[in-house]
Amino acid sequence: MYWLMANLRQAGIIVRNEVFVLPSRIAVLVFVVALLALPIFTQDPYVLRIIILTSVFALLAASWDFLSGFTGQMNFGHALFFGVAAYTAAKLNLDLSIPPWGSIPLGAVGGVLAGLVVGIPCLRLRGAYLALTTLAFPIILMGVVFALPDFTGGELGISGLSRLSGSRVGDYYITGGCMLVFCFLMWKITDSKTGIILHAIREDEVACRSAGINTTRYKLMAFCISGFFAGISGGLYAHIMRLAGPSTLEVNTSFLVIIWSVFGGMVSIYGPVAGVFILFPMLEFLRFIPQARMLVFAFLVLLTLLYMPEGLIPWIRDKIEKVCPRCKARNLGTRSNCRVCNAVLD
Amino acid sequence: MILDIIVNGLINGSVYALLAIGFSLVMGVARIVNIAHTAFYMTSAYFIYMGFTYLNIPPLLAMLCALPVTVALGLLAYKFFIKPIQEHEAAVLIATIALAMVIQEAFLMVFGGHYLGVPPLVSGYALIFGVKVTWQHLLALGVALAVLIGVRFFLMNTKIGLAIRSTAEDREVANLMGMNVTAVAMWAVAVSIGLAAITGAIVVPLVVLDPHMWMHPLIMMLAIVVLGGLGSIEGSFVGAYIIGFTEALVVFLLPMGSFLKDPVALTIMILVLLIKPEGLFGVVFEEER
Amino acid sequence: MRRLGLFLVILLAGLLVVGTSGPAQAVKPIKIGVAGPMSFTQGEGHWNGATLAAMEINEKGGVMVGGTKRPIELIKVDTNEFISIPDATNAMELAISRHNVDFLVGGFRSEAVLVMQDIAMDNKKIFIGCGAAHPKLCTRVTKDYDRYKYWFRLTPINSTFLGKVVFIQLGTVAAMMKKGLGVKDLSVAIIAEKAAWNEPIVAAAKKFLPKMGMKVAGVWRPSPVAKDVTAELGAIERSKANIIFTSFSASVGIPFAKQYGELKIAAPVVGINVEAQKDGFWKATGGKGNYAMTLNTYAKVKITDLTIPFYEKYLKTFGEAPNYTAGTYDAVYLLAKAAEKAGTINSDAVVKVLEKIKDVSTAGVVVFDKSHDVTWGPGYVTSLGTQWQDGKNMCVWPYKWKGVTYEGTVPIKFAPWVIKRYKK
Repeated sequence: MYWLMANLRQAGIIVRNEVFVLPSRIAVLVFVVALLALPIFTQDPYVLRIIILTSVFALLAASWDFLSGFTGQMNFGHALFFGVAAYTAAKLNLDLSIPPWGSIPLGAVGGVLAGLVVGIPCLRLRGAYLALTTLAFPIILMGVVFALPDFTGGELGISGLSRLSGSRVGDYYITGGCMLVFCFLMWKITDSKTGIILHAIREDEVACRSAGINTTRYKLMAFCISGFFAGISGGLYAHIMRLAGPSTLEVNTSFLVIIWSVFGGMVSIYGPVAGVFILFPMLEFLRFIPQARMLVFAFLVLLTLLYMPEGLIPWIRDKIEKVCPRCKARNLGTRSNCRVCNAVLD
Repeated sequence: MILDIIVNGLINGSVYALLAIGFSLVMGVARIVNIAHTAFYMTSAYFIYMGFTYLNIPPLLAMLCALPVTVALGLLAYKFFIKPIQEHEAAVLIATIALAMVIQEAFLMVFGGHYLGVPPLVSGYALIFGVKVTWQHLLALGVALAVLIGVRFFLMNTKIGLAIRSTAEDREVANLMGMNVTAVAMWAVAVSIGLAAITGAIVVPLVVLDPHMWMHPLIMMLAIVVLGGLGSIEGSFVGAYIIGFTEALVVFLLPMGSFLKDPVALTIMILVLLIKPEGLFGVVFEEER
Repeated sequence: MRRLGLFLVILLAGLLVVGTSGPAQAVKPIKIGVAGPMSFTQGEGHWNGATLAAMEINEKGGVMVGGTKRPIELIKVDTNEFISIPDATNAMELAISRHNVDFLVGGFRSEAVLVMQDIAMDNKKIFIGCGAAHPKLCTRVTKDYDRYKYWFRLTPINSTFLGKVVFIQLGTVAAMMKKGLGVKDLSVAIIAEKAAWNEPIVAAAKKFLPKMGMKVAGVWRPSPVAKDVTAELGAIERSKANIIFTSFSASVGIPFAKQYGELKIAAPVVGINVEAQKDGFWKATGGKGNYAMTLNTYAKVKITDLTIPFYEKYLKTFGEAPNYTAGTYDAVYLLAKAAEKAGTINSDAVVKVLEKIKDVSTAGVVVFDKSHDVTWGPGYVTSLGTQWQDGKNMCVWPYKWKGVTYEGTVPIKFAPWVIKRYKK
């Protein structure tokens, strides 16, 4: 009992000292609490479906950011990881009747393999070359899907997968939970020593190599990690839709991932998540003008970029928070002294 | 059959070359990966359709009118949406994607997802060594070759062409030499969109118009420029014919798999990159810092 | 900053438009969701067909269910299924959970319809398919009856029957060529878009053509969205085929017909070309699509007493002839009749009625089989063969087939360059 109390107090102190000091951290806390508490207030299947899909795509966008944002390996074919995992999960689930808790992680392993397949030939490429080459992979795979209709179902895809869980609320917590946990995990990786190396590769690969870092290994690792998380999201998608079809491999899917992520703000993990949570429901909200829905969507993205080229979330963050010039700690925008080192903020 | 392959490959290749060279120009000079490039090709095609169907002007006149309108639109889009954020590479990238989507959705809204068509300038076909080729295809080939020669002349023999080439070579140094890099970039964009518009004009009688028609040539064009070496005009030219002939080869040698012509072309691109990561004619740049 | 202001104004204007909502009605209407890609021809067909039926029913006072006459209210469900499958599922969910639709009709892209079907079944809503031809949609009913019994397919006939019909039509053309043009050994070039629904048709073609006394000159499988098939056409011409057998559902049908006409390939075209079923085909091909033949559902012929009035009314109201997705017209009527007979709109009761229904519709007599698929055959729904003849899509089949000839059917015409090939 005492032990519990002490721990709770400890947690309370951490929350007060680490979370409540910055508006962005409060926002994250509010977001997590709101996401977890939503089914208490509404169980409207439509709302839940949208948030479920939003969560799935948020994980996908975050995994893109991990590879393309943090490591700088601009990937235009992220749909490949998503699609490979969706098809793998579907095949395993239907042919070997592996339940979702097995087929989704195994599907993600498929995503990792796809990461290797793309990563190895692309190791020597960078920048625009890499971007345009990666675009080709999902299209090639799509050709294979159509060439083997007996195995892949052709344009029909593989349908009739078992449900993720029995209920909509169950699905909601599984996808929402997966999204939060895995995004947190990715964020932790980017914050670790490995993350710093990945960051360094983006900034200057030659310098990195000359510092004795095996950049090849780290780049491949980034492809695999990204493929894994994109794979989880692909597997979840397949089990929610109960279908894995060629639409998961379309160029459109890859492009949407990029739009969500850059709109939200690259190199942050939470930026792409926020991007998806804003843009995906917005598309639903725009249903009142069915004909102009996508037009308004694309135009809003274009306008937002014009004023916030770094993305929405970094723009807001810079408005409400300041970085201490001495210790680099983040501070509330209204403060005049740094909360850590008490230096004067400008 | 060999003749069929050669004729088809030449036609495919020339059309792709027009697109790819325009894309390469902007890529080289303004450092913009312009995903919306083929969207302008579609824009010009739709303008021609509009002129022909609603204004009842003859197709040739419609083509001549569509060209400047498309270029003007392209320049406006560049000035208002791309140039202000030019420093942010990722932002430019999705700005061009979003721009392409805006164009696509605008046409989808106006014309719906219907398949539309414009009649050919010259109908009928010619027999070349026993191969039936439509006059329109031959015309397209002729115009494409003429334009390609024109572009080469423009780049090699005019002052602006020289400026474009030197800016593509080294933007910083060109700037230091007192060149107005911004103006050069504007020129490059104008020429590039103009090439896309011309491609649209020569292709529109051959194909069906629909708001998603920009996607397929986009992918092939990207494959070509990567294959040829980014920013390299010669590379784009050669790459275009490689991809064009590959498509024709697949159709003739593998009839059951003619739907595979895109995947096969893309696989060839990847194979080339495995051996030569900078593309066929690409220069191995020193690490840009 | 001023531009930012403009940005906000646009946003606000957008928000204001949301405020509007539908009017309230005294008698609770029967809500039917019409699902389809509304920006595309297919979705327009869905919506127009259903609107016409709802208009007619409401003019007569509505549907008599359990003693009260209830009007029909249509809900437009824009699935956007060509672009995004998640979009399609969201639209379905919205229609079912927010608009509380009682029935659903429509659907086109097979991959999307499979998912949409699942959502409708989850909510036990009757979903009448008017667009996707894949047999799998109906085999699901036999495999798991209790779950999938709410699904029915009204149009088109499933792809196995589609295959049967086109072979009969191919046989008709072959007989005409032997008799009229004196061609002895026929060889057929098969050109079919690469799609799963086409696999059984291509396999059957390769198997049955030799049995029908014809050779297979070659098989070409272009992409469904190919924009240029001159290479394929050149190869077909090389193969010296006498007949071209097509199977297209997507946009490739237009460049094919256009370039076929331009190159004057000397072999008649038989088969499926969904684009050639549409009114816009003539303009899209610039008239080059002349002589293109395709399997069809509607034409201005007397399939039943309802066909011509429907065809003309549709043409008058929407300015174009109906294509097969306008089968939602029959679907809405079917639902209205079934609900009247059942005396309720309860899904299970209506399913029972639909399973036993024998209804004269605009496309033939509709009877659902065990898998809730529409029955094909003489006396039921036969579907048609139509050919573009100088700007008009004329019905050319059935013509004295098992005693069936619909009033208004004309004989098949061969293109002059085809005739020229054999009559020197």
